[in-house]
Amino acid sequence: MQLSENLVREINEIINDCLADESPYCQSRCPLNIDVQGYVTLIGEGKYRQALELIRKTIPFPGILGRVCAHPCEEECKRGEIEAALSIKNLKRFAADMADDPEKWDLSRAPETGKKIAIIGAGPAGATAAYDLQKKGHQVEIFESLPVVGGMLRVGIPAYRLPETVIDREYSILEKLGVNIHLNKEVGKDIDFEALKNDYDAVFVAVGAHDAVMIPVEGSDLEGVLEGADFLRKAGLNQEVKIGKKVVVIGGGNVAMDVARTAWRVGAEEIHVACLECRNEMPAHSWEVEDAEEEGIIMHPGWGPQKIGGNKKVESMTFKECTQVFDEAGNFNPDYCEDNLKTIEADNVIFAIGQRADTSFMNEQLNIKEVDQLTLQSEVENVFGGGDCIGKPLLAVEAMSHGKKAAESIDRYLNSKELTENREEEGAYESKLQKELTREEPVRRRIDMRMLNLEERKNNFKEVELGFNTAEAMGEALRCLECECKECIKECIMLDEYSDSPKELFERVKKDEVDPLVYFSCNMCSQCTIACPNDFEIKDKFMQLRKILVKENNGESPIKGHNAIKWHQRLGFSKLFTTTRAAVDEEDTK
Amino acid sequence: MAKTKRVFIPGCSLSSYRPELVEEVIKYLKNKLPGTGAILKCCGKPTKALGQYDKFKERYAGLQSEIDKLGADEIIVACQSCYLTMSANSPEQKVTSLWELMPEIGMPEGTAAKAEKSDLTIGVHDSCSTRDREDIHNGIRWILDQLGYNTEEPPHTKENTRCCGFGGMVVPANPDLAQKVMDRRTGEFETEHLVTYCAACRESMTKGGKKAVHILDLIFGPVWTSESEFPGLGTPIESWVNRYKTKKKMQKVLS
Repeated sequence: MQLSENLVREINEIINDCLADESPYCQSRCPLNIDVQGYVTLIGEGKYRQALELIRKTIPFPGILGRVCAHPCEEECKRGEIEAALSIKNLKRFAADMADDPEKWDLSRAPETGKKIAIIGAGPAGATAAYDLQKKGHQVEIFESLPVVGGMLRVGIPAYRLPETVIDREYSILEKLGVNIHLNKEVGKDIDFEALKNDYDAVFVAVGAHDAVMIPVEGSDLEGVLEGADFLRKAGLNQEVKIGKKVVVIGGGNVAMDVARTAWRVGAEEIHVACLECRNEMPAHSWEVEDAEEEGIIMHPGWGPQKIGGNKKVESMTFKECTQVFDEAGNFNPDYCEDNLKTIEADNVIFAIGQRADTSFMNEQLNIKEVDQLTLQSEVENVFGGGDCIGKPLLAVEAMSHGKKAAESIDRYLNSKELTENREEEGAYESKLQKELTREEPVRRRIDMRMLNLEERKNNFKEVELGFNTAEAMGEALRCLECECKECIKECIMLDEYSDSPKELFERVKKDEVDPLVYFSCNMCSQCTIACPNDFEIKDKFMQLRKILVKENNGESPIKGHNAIKWHQRLGFSKLFTTTRAAVDEEDTK
Repeated sequence: MAKTKRVFIPGCSLSSYRPELVEEVIKYLKNKLPGTGAILKCCGKPTKALGQYDKFKERYAGLQSEIDKLGADEIIVACQSCYLTMSANSPEQKVTSLWELMPEIGMPEGTAAKAEKSDLTIGVHDSCSTRDREDIHNGIRWILDQLGYNTEEPPHTKENTRCCGFGGMVVPANPDLAQKVMDRRTGEFETEHLVTYCAACRESMTKGGKKAVHILDLIFGPVWTSESEFPGLGTPIESWVNRYKTKKKMQKVLS
């Protein structure tokens, strides 16, 4: 059938804007857009292997993310409005625990392109980019200054949260795919950045924030004052770390919690964490603070450093009460009550107030922070930047997202394709779904992760979170509300019978693959329009389609059952069954 | 000849259902609003629903010429489909629904509170074609309240009402699907007894397994109770016989 231009335009609007394939809240919030609902459903069905493969389609690090992802997805989970978000991160780890088998990894690659790419840094951004680019047929070389792979995953996140065996196992896919990883190769010292730029078709700068930010505090030059990043790096590299019995950690973020909990594991007995922010404004995730407190760490929210006391060696730390962190304009502008002081005895003071990346190896003319935010391309066209070094320290999942984005850009660049086209839905975005919860949804309690007994954690870096068992994972997976927009399909028996969604149906309409009976099965009642968040006038489209079919069928309906109507109409207009009667009495005209 | 200020058009489905109800409405309008004439003729909506736009234009022009012949400037309808079709195609006439009119001109003599002793709770099914006409919804409830019946509102009602299953000429095209729509709609009601204000909706509710009457049955018929025998489904022949009887009654009452 021949559709008019106007009708095609209207149909295209439905195809483009129908929310049937809109990502659920969890997936759209994920910087990697992992199909969360998909793998959670598969876990619920006991299909662990398929669940794992679905995760691996996006990212080869399910075990790493299943342990350390800060799960922004869970913040958006609709379940949170009932009792608590789905335990998505833990389900991801469960899929990896149950079904990840290196023997079954997909090691296929696109045909060799002959293009060479240098990646600086084997952290989450660099490794993700390396994986994607190598899969696409390019040859990747990673240059890593540390003697191990993993970057901040390894020397920033302590092993009790992310065991090195997990990192090594999942990273091994890079070498299996043919990526060359050069350890102990520091760019700027062992290799010249300019040489990389010239010798490789593209360079991806993905350096992590390994340098601690320090603030000038009286006594900060005393022996026993440590940098948090350095402390964690030594622990991560299994080097000896010397620490006293009493430790004060300065900072209120996740790194401060990691430092405190690491200090406890290497022999400190009394550990204090102090930060400017009050308790509910601490930058660390609430669960990180709770886990630290469980290990006996003492929190001092709302206290700022005044001075470190001691003679040559640290003996104490004095704090002043912090009355304001940010001013009314929202700028960092702390204010203190200098009269309210407290002093804590200490052998060590560890600063964990922030970190930055060192990119001094680069030509001063190239500021990697000024990469294009959409493409991550720098002002030098074959140099791209991502991860911590282009701005602030990122979550692991955000760094991986940068890696993916950079890989896509580099691949397009190497193929001389437009870099900026269709990139809006890379990374996290706002879902257009408008799911309304019914009050009948049964409450299902979130299943807690089982943890290693406290006494078993001391003096070692054994993993604390034990993972879900099958019963726990199945129970948790069943909590998923399976958010989607099928409002019209749920309302309309006819749409439900003949299509998956208006989007799907009208794609077939355009291809003339729909039985005309479908168009003549619409009751024209508008309930679909009422249910539709976009108020699509679907009945109007069916009406237009009916008109075309009639026109192309000599003015008659192509539906057999409609033959009777022809006769009814003839009778309904015949003299036998019609009459016109005038009024027999005048209206009162007062 | 008296001047015909307005014309009552009962519509096909009501006249095929019960001729005496059409007769009573005309008597009532004659009494309350002298100057009312009447036309029995199809508006052509079925052709429009099928997408036969040229045929529809031709059909409607036939009806319009009858209206113009009488010189009426207002059309009173008792069918929601007629309401929409005529509102859209007779720009020179004001189209009024009988259900919005009744609260204005009052109930027929002797009908107020007549069903106060009925043991029925009657479920109200709104027509989907006038889902956005609050005055019609209110008029129907006002009438039921005046009569004295207890009523039940289904989960989907008024502006959110669900189709009876008849709309869009689906019954002849896809009877199995239409039956599913009918069954789902009747399934929304707890009560066994329903009232509609469209004869086609009434038929659908009956096909969906309920005991259903048209609101004019309640106004002009007996007091309905759980003991009453509710009307069933007529055959096509019966419908045409009824339509012929309607014509005769109209001619008699307006002569």
